[in-house]
Amino acid sequence: MEILISGRIFGLVSLLVIMAAVAYYIRKSQEGKVPSVRRIPGIDAIDESIGRAVEMGRPVFCSHGIANLRAATTGPQTLAGLSVLSYVAKRCIDVGAELYVPVRQPEVWPVAADIVETEFKLAGKGDEFDPDRIRFLSNNQFGFSSNYMGMLMRQKPGANIMVGAYWAESLQLAETGSRIGAMQITGTAQTSQIPFFLVVSDYCLIGEEIYSAGAYLTNDVQLIASLAGQDVGRIIAVILGLLGAITVTLGSNVLINLFRM
Amino acid sequence: MSDVLRRIEIPIALTIIATLIQVIPYYVNIPVLDTVASRASNSVLLIVAYATFIGVISILQVHGKRIQRQSEGWYYSILVIGFTVIMALTGLPLPEAGLGVNNNIYNWLFTNVLTPLGGTMYSIIAFFITSAAFRAFRARNLESAIVLVAGTIMVMGNAPLITNLIPPIADISLWIREVPNMATMRGVMIGAALGSIALAVRTLMGIERGYLRGGQE
Repeated sequence: MEILISGRIFGLVSLLVIMAAVAYYIRKSQEGKVPSVRRIPGIDAIDESIGRAVEMGRPVFCSHGIANLRAATTGPQTLAGLSVLSYVAKRCIDVGAELYVPVRQPEVWPVAADIVETEFKLAGKGDEFDPDRIRFLSNNQFGFSSNYMGMLMRQKPGANIMVGAYWAESLQLAETGSRIGAMQITGTAQTSQIPFFLVVSDYCLIGEEIYSAGAYLTNDVQLIASLAGQDVGRIIAVILGLLGAITVTLGSNVLINLFRM
Repeated sequence: MSDVLRRIEIPIALTIIATLIQVIPYYVNIPVLDTVASRASNSVLLIVAYATFIGVISILQVHGKRIQRQSEGWYYSILVIGFTVIMALTGLPLPEAGLGVNNNIYNWLFTNVLTPLGGTMYSIIAFFITSAAFRAFRARNLESAIVLVAGTIMVMGNAPLITNLIPPIADISLWIREVPNMATMRGVMIGAALGSIALAVRTLMGIERGYLRGGQE
């Protein structure tokens, strides 16, 4: 019996290479060599949007998408959205903004509530935390979106921050936010929804930018170093892509066979 | 004791163990781990099922307070709570008591209330697309002019009347979709996939803590 499962060996090697690269850059960062990160205007604008909401006397809405934490492709987007929520909650508490978190997945609700509650406690304002503002709306996709749109129309937030996995409701939510004049910062890795967000929102995080948001916002040295490790994977992917195009054009299946190992 | 249980190392360790339980059997052929992974997945389904009650409790709390305070539109909250209770009770998996997915009331509400409402919400996207397109299709600079031209060609390429009158439009719109659009989308997808893997690696290594109490100790 083979120990390694056939067809997945290349994937395992890739995973180990990326992990090694992340570990290498983290080690380097501990020696003081922290890689620089390019500016991401959408993330920089979060503070501005919260400040604007406070000046207007309006609340802030922050959603982490409608996906659960279990799905392989969309779960990480929810995690990324929760990292953004953590920062948004902190900033809202600092400047005294009312924060509302619309939630679709019941299993994510306790996580989101815990994040916001902890930020209140860390700020020494634990008694000001209102669990009703971390609001489970519906686990039905359009039940969630109609409820969210209703909240947007009734409460007219000054800022609407949506980072996570969204599907058909993306345009409904962003367009409603735009109509009520909210400053909107959106982000998703769902390629079919990125154009909608780009058209309607003030700032849009595209694809991988949402995964970097946590590192960018916290300015944590280890997290930033891990982004450099991620770039190693990107460089390998580009090289393999080019090699694949060349070898297949020349009629060779060497690389395809390697991927199928 | 409670201080020890509240330490952040515990959820991080649980996350790492749970991740390894799923990752290792994917690559390595160890039957015992396969069984463990399968049981862990089933446990997750149970946790999710329990979490549904948290959702219901949240709905009852929020809407119960709205009714109690008679906030604006409080009567809608009565409908929400009423339908939540009716659907929950009639949908209980007790077929011998006439309850469950074959219950007449549950079926009627599902077919005549939930389905048409969902369909309506989905269909209004067409109007949102129109208003979004109206906003996007303005040539304020070079980039938006490119979007305007490409978008117009795509719209024309999907209109049989136009493609019949000007046949090359169909080919041009197909080229836009399959060459520049496809290249961009693949770039975004590969970048997002790598970002997702890196996030998973950070989570596996216990570095990514944003989802845990803001990563605080």
